[in-house]
Amino acid sequence: MQIHRVVRELVTTKRNFWLAAKSLRIVEDHRGNLEVALDPIGCKPGDYVVTIGVSAARIAAGNPKITTDLTIGGIIDHWDEERWRT
Amino acid sequence: MKICQVEGTLVATARIGALENRRLLVVKERGSSGKQVAVDPVGCKPGDWVIAVGSSAARDAAGSKDYPSDLTIVGIIDYWDDSTGKAGVGTHANSSRSA
Repeated sequence: MQIHRVVRELVTTKRNFWLAAKSLRIVEDHRGNLEVALDPIGCKPGDYVVTIGVSAARIAAGNPKITTDLTIGGIIDHWDEERWRT
Repeated sequence: MKICQVEGTLVATARIGALENRRLLVVKERGSSGKQVAVDPVGCKPGDWVIAVGSSAARDAAGSKDYPSDLTIVGIIDYWDDSTGKAGVGTHANSSRSA
């Protein structure tokens, strides 16, 4: 699992059937690389989150048929930028 | 499997139900700068050198096939000398902590 920060919401109306109506977020890692993650919790921009990758992401989405390779697993209570970058 | 050093616990109160109330640890993989988060079914302390499994083996290692983990700690290394990167020749991996 990795630590990401939520950048903003991502809206895609026309989408693959197996993405269902799941909400998506743009997240960034400590180097500033952007990725798209599925959000089953409801995160706000600026939240530091734990993201789950590979096949576990599909289980974390609540249904193994959902086609995702990155799912937000939880919001981190206390985290700061300095701890993230070093 | 990856060799990692434990940095500390990670508190995430708002989490998906499938993660249950398992302990999450921030770990640093040997030879890389980035931090990762691992599920800890073993019970590690900060500073411990551990081995962790990734991908779908991490799900089984966490106790169930339906557990959503992509990195799970499977053991604490008894002896680790980080300067040579060899197990079994250095001092006890956790001696600096217990001393």
